[in-house]
Amino acid sequence: MIESTFPLLSLTIVLPLLGALATGLATNNRLAKYIALWVAVAELLLTLSAWWLFKPEDGNRFQLVEQRAWIPSLNMEYLVGIDGISVLFLPMTALLTVLAIAASWTSVQHLHRLHFALLLALEGITIGVFCALDTMLFFLFWELTLPPIFFLIGLWGIGTLRRTAAMKYTLFMLFGGVPLLFAFVLLAINHATEVNGALPQNLSFSLPVLLATPVSEHLQTVVFVLLLLGFAVKAPLIPFHTWLPTATMEGPTQITALLIGLKLGIYGIVRFTLPLAPSAAVGFSWILGILGAVTLVYGGLIALQQSNLRRLLAYASISHVGLVIIGIASLTVQGIQGAIFQLFNFSVIASSLMLIAGFIHQRLASTEAVHLGGLAKVMPRLSTFYFLFMLASIGVPGTNGFPAELLLIFGALSAHPGLGLTALAGAVLSAAYMLSYTRRAFWGPITQTAVSQSQDLRPRELALLCIPALLVLWFGFFPNTALSVNQVAAEAWLSRLLEPPQMPNNDVVGLWQGH
Amino acid sequence: MDALVVLIPLLPFTAAVVLGVSQLFGILKGEASENTTALLAMWALCMASLLALVLAGADALGYNHGVLTLGSWLDSEGFAISANFTTTGLPVRLAALFALLLVIVMRFAINYLHREAGFHRFFFLLSLFAAGMLLLVLSGNAVGSFFGWEIAGLCSYGLIAYAYNRPVAASNATRVFITNRIGDTGFILGIALSAIFADSLNWQQINTADLTTGQATGIALSFSVAAFAKSAQLPFTPWLARAMEGPTPSSAVFYGAVMVHAGVFLVCVLAPVFEQAPLAMAVLVIVGGLTALYSFIVGLTQTDVKSALSFATTGQLGLMFLACGLGFWQWASWHVCAHAVVRGYLMLTAPSLMHNVLDNPIKPIHPKIASLRWAYIASLQRFWLDPFTDWTLIRPIRRLAHDLSYFDDHVIDPFMGATAPMLSRLSSYAQLEEHLVGAQLNDENLFAKGTGLAGKLTEWTAALMHWFEDRFVLRGIGKDALHFGRKLGHVANQFEQLILRPRYLVLFVFITLLVAF
Repeated sequence: MIESTFPLLSLTIVLPLLGALATGLATNNRLAKYIALWVAVAELLLTLSAWWLFKPEDGNRFQLVEQRAWIPSLNMEYLVGIDGISVLFLPMTALLTVLAIAASWTSVQHLHRLHFALLLALEGITIGVFCALDTMLFFLFWELTLPPIFFLIGLWGIGTLRRTAAMKYTLFMLFGGVPLLFAFVLLAINHATEVNGALPQNLSFSLPVLLATPVSEHLQTVVFVLLLLGFAVKAPLIPFHTWLPTATMEGPTQITALLIGLKLGIYGIVRFTLPLAPSAAVGFSWILGILGAVTLVYGGLIALQQSNLRRLLAYASISHVGLVIIGIASLTVQGIQGAIFQLFNFSVIASSLMLIAGFIHQRLASTEAVHLGGLAKVMPRLSTFYFLFMLASIGVPGTNGFPAELLLIFGALSAHPGLGLTALAGAVLSAAYMLSYTRRAFWGPITQTAVSQSQDLRPRELALLCIPALLVLWFGFFPNTALSVNQVAAEAWLSRLLEPPQMPNNDVVGLWQGH
Repeated sequence: MDALVVLIPLLPFTAAVVLGVSQLFGILKGEASENTTALLAMWALCMASLLALVLAGADALGYNHGVLTLGSWLDSEGFAISANFTTTGLPVRLAALFALLLVIVMRFAINYLHREAGFHRFFFLLSLFAAGMLLLVLSGNAVGSFFGWEIAGLCSYGLIAYAYNRPVAASNATRVFITNRIGDTGFILGIALSAIFADSLNWQQINTADLTTGQATGIALSFSVAAFAKSAQLPFTPWLARAMEGPTPSSAVFYGAVMVHAGVFLVCVLAPVFEQAPLAMAVLVIVGGLTALYSFIVGLTQTDVKSALSFATTGQLGLMFLACGLGFWQWASWHVCAHAVVRGYLMLTAPSLMHNVLDNPIKPIHPKIASLRWAYIASLQRFWLDPFTDWTLIRPIRRLAHDLSYFDDHVIDPFMGATAPMLSRLSSYAQLEEHLVGAQLNDENLFAKGTGLAGKLTEWTAALMHWFEDRFVLRGIGKDALHFGRKLGHVANQFEQLILRPRYLVLFVFITLLVAF
């Protein structure tokens, strides 16, 4: 661990929260909007400076670490830090928040201050999730994301069932939280047992300590299953995915852009599930792979059937999650690097597509294909951006989707050829569902009068979409700029799994029996 | 001289970027700026083709080193892809030829598309295509070629849908792209297999790697799937006729002169690998031969000039694959060059063909062949390839998607996501009034109402016991039970029928195969 003298990460967590407070207390709506935007931009600069200070060659160690006592009686700490796996998620979260704030500049009609305050609060908490290295601190941030999202969906949703959707989301996530908490407590107790200590003085919730603590085989299995279950709900994997289509249909588009863009669930799987239960992870990687393959094909096939862009994006996102899980399950450097890269791409591609869906919805009050048709004629600019992001989502070379997909497929093929072939089938499916929606909504003759009178992108919207578009092209042409950041981390992550730093198995059993 | 090679795809690409961006921001639009667009695209392409000619000349004089490496494009522990170009041999000669043909077609298009609504879009796509195609040919590694391969496919998609407000154009474009996507998976599989077996993605190293026959067959077959899809060989042939929807210059350059030859080029580049794989060579012979035969028979009944040309093209391409499969690589590559020139000319003159053949009627076919009625029907229907694909592939997948979607909405969602306490709250004013007067007409068994998991379980157990008691014990085993049994049987039958549908059987077979793999 590399400690830092200046509390940069704490600042990135606290700044949006303070900004939220300022936004909430602002005297008028206009001021609130500007405060929110400037705080978000400042936060983006802070996260970029964190990336700047981060040393990729030491990517396997936690950097910019801050450690303080939090609940000393239970040994819980305020421990934050970043490594090669998490560093890219910080600027991405900040960027998405800036985009979400800009996209909701005029679309929010009531309770402006609360809306922007909640958005900023969500940003701070999400960054907390990515930085937290203490399992309890992580869990705290993890559960804290729920209240802002609950209100954001429930109060500003665009569907009639927004309250139900908010409730459904919250119940699902609360259900997912239970196994997480249980697993973290089990690991903490295991640490106390391993060091022959007493409860609760020798409990440990700190991730670096837990990673160094040996865990017996059967406990690993339990922990693996619990953590996988908890994160599968958020990811989402089949069959815990049903909250996502509901949320995308009912929620406001800028929030659903964040929801499908920020893959906290898979981050959790990469950060906690596999490293904390290494031998179980290696043993059960085939289950993970099959789960990924089923999710990939299942999501893709259902997406083929969708006529609404927002619902389609939800299922497309589920299908992509399946692909990433296949990559992780391959347990190769290419697979894991592709997975992290693809997570990063999601944030750009899926959220931009969702924002575009929002722009269409603002103009035509629908994203249903039958209400559209011929959009390319009246909205050439919007269509151009839609095409770019759609192609990136299919994984066409020149966009950032391609190198990530290539790595994932290569990783999967070299580990489990069957999974690799499924991933290839998924690539065909993704082209099929995206293009058939494009054909119905963007091409063909204009049939609705509302469509023929609608306006193309305004300058604010155009400028907003340019940023992710440039990122898509940049990482498509120069993927090494992203991959070099997590190269060392991915290799270290993998070698930890394949050669876990563990005492021989019978010793562990002995310790358990001796207690 | 090697360094020139970078500029050849880069110049048209820059032109495409400039054209694209200025269209996006409304700088180039309308008839007034047609000249600017044309000049820019033309200039870039002319320079590129000049450079390509110089490169080819330098290669002929022996000034080139063979490979130019710019640096690393993607790097991930043992899976390294560099940005490199080939500067000798067939790729360079083909690049010069393709660049020249592209210049001619672009010059033709400037007049042909004058005052068309999509003038600027056309030149953006054509410049991008030129960049993609030249990159495909000149790239020194498989991933670079795939880059160009996909960009070319994408531009073809965009130009088939040139008149995108016509539903036929839009649906044909979609279908063509998805068909080609199947070929692309073959390409990606080939890339992955080469990286695993040959430890490199450079064409040169793949060709000189020490491969077993099985490995070579795997690589060769994967790439040949990609080649068959791109060059419209069986069973992918029907896409080419659909692709004729685009404007004539694009048909000429994509489906006559340049893009369709990419498949043959790919096979030629990998000639040493194919030679190690007798099975793959046999596949080339069979597919090429069958396609040539198929295209000849189908071509006999085509009544419009573009379809006739498209089947003539696939027939010639089939012959090229046949030549490759028999080991006549040199012959095949010459065939590519000659065919590109001739077909490009034929496609460009197709619109004025009616004037040219006015006094020159088409020769009738031999009466023996003409009397075969079944052959006539089969030829007219193009051997039912499209309906067959629909029936065996597209419809089952659509139905499967439909079934899954139903399953998701009606089984998984209620099972996983019933937010019961919230949803069963009073939702209308009428219900509230009922509630206030105590009528509660809708609530059937209010007596045992549980909340939470334990409560719900108790409630359900109670309800089940009550039902059992009521139906079976109190009323005896009567007509009701028979009804219930019959219903159960019916549902079971339906389920079995559903499961026995071919799509599920095929799906199970696939899953079994994948697991066994």
